[in-house]
Amino acid sequence: MSKTNKDILIRLQNVWKTYTMGANKVHALRNMNFEAKRGEFVAIMGPSGSGKSTMVNLVGCLDIPTKGEIFLKHQNIAHLSESKLAQIRGQTIGFIFQQFNLIPTISALENVMLPMTFQNMVRSEREKRAAKLLDLVGLGDRLHHRPTELSGGQQQRVAIARSLSNDPELILADEPTGNLDSKTGVNVMSFLEKLNREQGKTIVMVTHDEKLSHIAERVAHLMDGQIINETRPTAKERRQSFLHSGLAPKESSISKKS
Amino acid sequence: MIRDIITYAVNNLRNRKMRSWLTVLSILIGIAAIFTLVSFGQGLSSYVNGLASKMGTDKIIALSSKSLTSGINEELFFTQDEVNLLGKVKGVAELSPNYLKGVQVTKDKKVVYSFGIGMSTGKDRRLVEEVFTVDIIRGRALKTGDRNKVVLGYNYLVPDKIFKKPVKVGDKLDINGRLFEVVGFFDELGNPSDDRNVYFTYAGFESLFPDLKDRYYQIIMRSSADTVPATVAARAKEKLRKYRGLKEGEENFDIQTFEQALQTFTSIITVINSILLLIALVSLIIAGVNIMNTMYTAVLERTKEIGIMKAVGAQNKDILVIVVVESSLLGVIGGIIGVMLGWGISSLGGKIAAGAGYALLSPVFPLWLILGCIFFGGGIGALAGYFPARSASRLRPVDSLRYE
Ligand SMILES: Nc1ncnc2c1ncn2[C@@H]1O[C@H](COP(=O)(O)OP(=O)(O)OP(=O)(O)O)[C@@H](O)[C@H]1O
Ligand SMILES: [Mg+2]
Repeated sequence: MSKTNKDILIRLQNVWKTYTMGANKVHALRNMNFEAKRGEFVAIMGPSGSGKSTMVNLVGCLDIPTKGEIFLKHQNIAHLSESKLAQIRGQTIGFIFQQFNLIPTISALENVMLPMTFQNMVRSEREKRAAKLLDLVGLGDRLHHRPTELSGGQQQRVAIARSLSNDPELILADEPTGNLDSKTGVNVMSFLEKLNREQGKTIVMVTHDEKLSHIAERVAHLMDGQIINETRPTAKERRQSFLHSGLAPKESSISKKS
Repeated sequence: MIRDIITYAVNNLRNRKMRSWLTVLSILIGIAAIFTLVSFGQGLSSYVNGLASKMGTDKIIALSSKSLTSGINEELFFTQDEVNLLGKVKGVAELSPNYLKGVQVTKDKKVVYSFGIGMSTGKDRRLVEEVFTVDIIRGRALKTGDRNKVVLGYNYLVPDKIFKKPVKVGDKLDINGRLFEVVGFFDELGNPSDDRNVYFTYAGFESLFPDLKDRYYQIIMRSSADTVPATVAARAKEKLRKYRGLKEGEENFDIQTFEQALQTFTSIITVINSILLLIALVSLIIAGVNIMNTMYTAVLERTKEIGIMKAVGAQNKDILVIVVVESSLLGVIGGIIGVMLGWGISSLGGKIAAGAGYALLSPVFPLWLILGCIFFGGGIGALAGYFPARSASRLRPVDSLRYE
């Protein structure tokens, strides 16, 4: 699969994010440049406070940069109004958070339906699609459970189903396994990998786990608000990240989506 | 979408049950008060309107004291000459004067005080009956020559109301030390003081109170068909004023059409009702502040949830609608329960009033009042929710997602 410049989905151009705390200025991002192609799986690594979440939030239209330009599908989103940004979030982006961020008062099904509600999809269709997605993440028998009635891994799978509900091109995952034990974490991770591989979703994932980052095609290393280096896991490393989990996909089951 | 929002709002209200109920309580009290007051007010005005249409618009009343509400002053009265004078006023078709004086009625050693009314036995008697819109329901009316006979108000027929044992036709009653035979009873008028009246013939009244002969308390008149009753009343008033040699505005009597008299009565009630309504409205403003406070807290508690909704595509206006719907729901629930409570209070109050003889205090429950109260509750909820909703909708998604 060749990826030309035309296929660039995300581009950060000289992006600064500065927080002013009284007299102090904290530069969460300093002159960051970054690109991700359509269909790519990128992992972001770096020490705590290096600006990983800040970067993902900017790409996810949850915040706007202090300086610089951000292009999403060739549209500059650095200066858009909140309602435009909300539309992009709803239609183009699926979020997966470390704390799952499900709404506790409604069922798994309704949580997955929520993003479609804000896109004014008719209820019956929403219900059908949400049930299908929950089935896909293996929660077909937990539709009417509330988040508090589910395990951490199950909650994160609901969140994954929710991130897919509007069929977004881009999935942003900020430490999606941070609150899970390693086995459940790997499980979630392999699901993301499958999404990328089978459905061609672009995924940008923040992680602390070196081994898990090897699932990605590319790893961007952050330090003090800048990308200091980018690496591509070797074929061996990629394989090992799965071996490590004991969930290595059998070669035969890997079917490239044309 | 709206169905999802309502489901979501109901869920949220359920999740903080105690606080929701307390908020609902604060609004339902105000709504119940308004509902009760208006239902009685409406009942009263429909009673008065009914009265006005039953007794006809052609009646005029002349009162020897200054107004209906200033009570009885025995120093003021109409003389026979004045009655004759008013009878000759242009447009007055007929008239019928009445005596009035407190009497003491004794039966089985029990003494009660009522008003004795001396009324005509001629054909002008029907004027009195039309105005009071009552018929004889037992026995017969008074006839000329019934010097030692009386007709009684309705309440004498009711056991334990005035006397332990009801009075019967043919009974003899001691009135101011003299025995009178009861020949009949009037039907219920709807207020306890009129329903205990004792009616005499002129001759009977004059024999009991010789000093009051030709000193009438009130005169009921009928204007002739082709005149405007208010004009006739004004004309009669002017004529009597000049006869008494009084300046305009210094009359010590009053002549009004019955419609005008009833209006004075209803406008007093309206003023009282308005003051009470104002108090109820103030209580609703407090309830509104209460809702606002509840919603501010709810929004603060759900900062993170709002962040999540924004992250998955909710626009500011979606959040605004969600919060306003939730607070309107509080108002609507308060409105519905308030209407039910108010209905209960009014019905009970009406029954108690009827039991005490005040049939005129019977509440009515028009549909507009019911719906109006519920919508009003919802409106207050929406209004009170608007500001918390606006501040919720303006939360920045990153900040609210970070909120714990
Ligand atoms: N709202 C804010 N106000 C002030 N400073 C902030 C804010 N958000 C982030 N920062 C600062 O920006 C820097 C980068 O934060 P960020 O959350 O992006 O780090 P991170 O790489 O995601 O760290 P972690 O691995 O701990 O999640 C930090 O120094 C942080 O203190
Ligand atoms: Mg972070």
